[in-house]
Amino acid sequence: MNFPRAKEADIALLLEGTFPYVSGGVSSWVNQIIRAFPELRFAIVFLGSRREDYGAQKYDLPDNVVHLEAHYLYDFDHTQTLPKPDERTLEAGVSGDLAKAHDMFKRDCADPAGKAALHNMCKEIMPGGKLPAESFLYGTQSWDLLCERYRKYCTDPSFVDYFWTVRIMHAPLWQLAKIAHELIPARAYHSVSTGYAGFLGALLQQTHKRPLILSEHGIYTKERKIDLFKSEWIRDNRNIFQRDPTELSYFRQTWISFFEWMGRFCYDAADPIIALYENNRLRQVADGAASERTFNIPNGISLQRFAPLRKLRPENPPPVLCLIGRVVPIKDVKTFIRAMRRVLNQLPEAKGWIAGPEDEDLAYANDCRNLAESLGVADRVKFLGFQKVEDLMPKIGLTILSSISEALPLVILEGYAAGVPTVSTDVGSCRQLIEGLDEEDQAFGHSGAVVNIADPQALADAAIGLLTDPIAWHSASRAGIARVERYYTDDLMFGHYRRVYETALAAKDS
Amino acid sequence: MLHLQLGIFALMLEAPSWVSALLGSNDDGALLLFLLAHSITSVLVSAIAINLLPKHLAKPRLPVLILIFGTSYAIPVIGILIIIGGIFLLHALPQIHRADAFEAIELPEIDVHQRPGVGFRQAGMRSFLSNTKAPVATRLRALIALQNVSGRVASPLLRDVLSDSSEDIRLLAYGILDNKEKHINNAIHTEAQNFSQASEGSPEQAETARRLADLYWELVYQELVLGDLRLHALQQSLHFTRISLAGSPDDAGLHLRLGRLLQPLGETHLAHAAYNQALALGLPKTRILPYLAEVAFDLGDFRTVHRLMHELGDWQSLPRLQPVIRYWNEA
Repeated sequence: MNFPRAKEADIALLLEGTFPYVSGGVSSWVNQIIRAFPELRFAIVFLGSRREDYGAQKYDLPDNVVHLEAHYLYDFDHTQTLPKPDERTLEAGVSGDLAKAHDMFKRDCADPAGKAALHNMCKEIMPGGKLPAESFLYGTQSWDLLCERYRKYCTDPSFVDYFWTVRIMHAPLWQLAKIAHELIPARAYHSVSTGYAGFLGALLQQTHKRPLILSEHGIYTKERKIDLFKSEWIRDNRNIFQRDPTELSYFRQTWISFFEWMGRFCYDAADPIIALYENNRLRQVADGAASERTFNIPNGISLQRFAPLRKLRPENPPPVLCLIGRVVPIKDVKTFIRAMRRVLNQLPEAKGWIAGPEDEDLAYANDCRNLAESLGVADRVKFLGFQKVEDLMPKIGLTILSSISEALPLVILEGYAAGVPTVSTDVGSCRQLIEGLDEEDQAFGHSGAVVNIADPQALADAAIGLLTDPIAWHSASRAGIARVERYYTDDLMFGHYRRVYETALAAKDS
Repeated sequence: MLHLQLGIFALMLEAPSWVSALLGSNDDGALLLFLLAHSITSVLVSAIAINLLPKHLAKPRLPVLILIFGTSYAIPVIGILIIIGGIFLLHALPQIHRADAFEAIELPEIDVHQRPGVGFRQAGMRSFLSNTKAPVATRLRALIALQNVSGRVASPLLRDVLSDSSEDIRLLAYGILDNKEKHINNAIHTEAQNFSQASEGSPEQAETARRLADLYWELVYQELVLGDLRLHALQQSLHFTRISLAGSPDDAGLHLRLGRLLQPLGETHLAHAAYNQALALGLPKTRILPYLAEVAFDLGDFRTVHRLMHELGDWQSLPRLQPVIRYWNEA
């Protein structure tokens, strides 16, 4: 596949696991933003885990994407035999900084000396710096440091697991440093998450002295935590006598701390730091973002695209509940399937549709299908795969969001614009989207219903309530249309981002 | 006797003073003499009267004395008559002793080490987890500890915090619950495939049916399913228990399971029959009688409940049931 290449760009978008290879809310948003500013030249740096985890591009690249590069951080070549490494030593200052930076994570993340040491470390890992990957992996001092930290802090008895955890965890940092070093010049960098993309953004900002804009949709660190709490590949080698039941396994905690650290490093470098709604902004501040650099820009959608669909809708709400989203654990598709058991007990003619790609987590998608089988709803719950939202909206009665974590889901707004109310879990800004934020917003009325997470019974009852009461359903539909037209149009969102880009592009080298 | 003497003495003092006053003497000396004699009379009247008052009204002594003295001194003659009348009246009227509204008692000594529910026992854990004022990090640790607790105890606690204000708490609780449920559902899926592949009526199929019945029951027992999903799991477990029973009709354990499934499904009489069958097939009485008592309770047959509980009272091997047994045996 030939990627577009250029010598320079206006904005370099740093994207981890989203556009253009993965479809979903964030990817749609990126697509919207790029197309909204045809006068700007965009470069895209896509970061993924392994090449085989991603299929073909899910989006056509807009004409103003002049440069695209894709990098895979965990694409190790296991067949390659490495030559025996040379003995390496680190300069005293570098190994001192390394120790100081790690001490800071263990004690006080706001310690200025530790922060300075960390920034110095991040300079030295750049190509040509004093801390190349080989010195970290094979250096005598780094080995000594590793052994010392193991004895001092590690509560897991396995040194082998500790050794490999530390190496695997740190390995992508040098790759990101190399990407930062080789990226074409850009006048501003824009990352849509912290994590690896955010770390890359911070390295670029530090190296090239150009502004880093951070737009966080979900909170990356939090979502990583969810994965890590649930993941079964992280080992816990403690026996029953060594185990404190109230403590996470050391490696699990270490991974969490690692992502927290990357998040803070990105927050330190980014200005502005944009959230979608107030609770997420507060969370960013709690996680280390400077309050004065943060503000909110809510998502917006194109009304012209969805408003004509209202005419195509039948008079009475179709008994079709539709979950539009990727089939991944964070969307808690299983709760929707469980809810369908009750919906079908009460409304046998109802249908449940799951419209979204399943290729991101095949095992989970498989679990969902098995659950539908075991609950006896497989014939009424359909997995439709990726669908055009415009085709779905006239046929469905409700959009359902059973997610355990969300920010400001576009799919709710798209449903509103097409006149479809929603039943959603109480996550992210969903309550605000359904019940209204301030008095003026609340005056529109409820545009659906909010229920607790992982409560299929409540989800089902709320959906049945709306589908079987046409007056309530039409009232919710009207409230949704009014709300989206007043607060969540793309014109409003583009206006905000125009100012953000203008400020960043006009900034002098910092 | 002393009172009488003092009374006469007081009257003797008071009478001449009044005589001189009534005779219209304008002499200052006579007035002073009258006041002196009247004061002494009032003191004597007070001293007598306070001793004649009911005891509980004579205290506090000094204010009562001053009141009587004041009455006698300020209203000559009539004051004395009021006091005498009052004393008679107070003795004649029925005595009402009002208790003080507040009583001071000593502070109880609280031994913090004897407080029940300290630590992460079930009740302590529930209140600790729901205490939103406790630091999130500490509550997270409590939640993590729940990972090692059996589903039946942990599930209700975890479900309680699914609506917690802290997102981290919600997500961790969700993750633990989801993992518990996932393991059982995956096993159900595997066994369901084995079941459909086994030949009809074969021992393998009966064995798989039994495992499926166990797995669906586990979802119910661990309280991982509620509402319609619980109903579905009960129905599925019942379906597979019946298949399994067709292959081994003399399995007492299966009859007990059958009863426990039929009971929450509202089939009380069938449940009763299943329990009796389990008993007839040799399951010990201690295992069956509590369920039979429950069935009797559901049917409103409290006499039978009483009888069964009495029978259970002879067994000391049911510590968790002892309070219930005690209650029914006392009633």
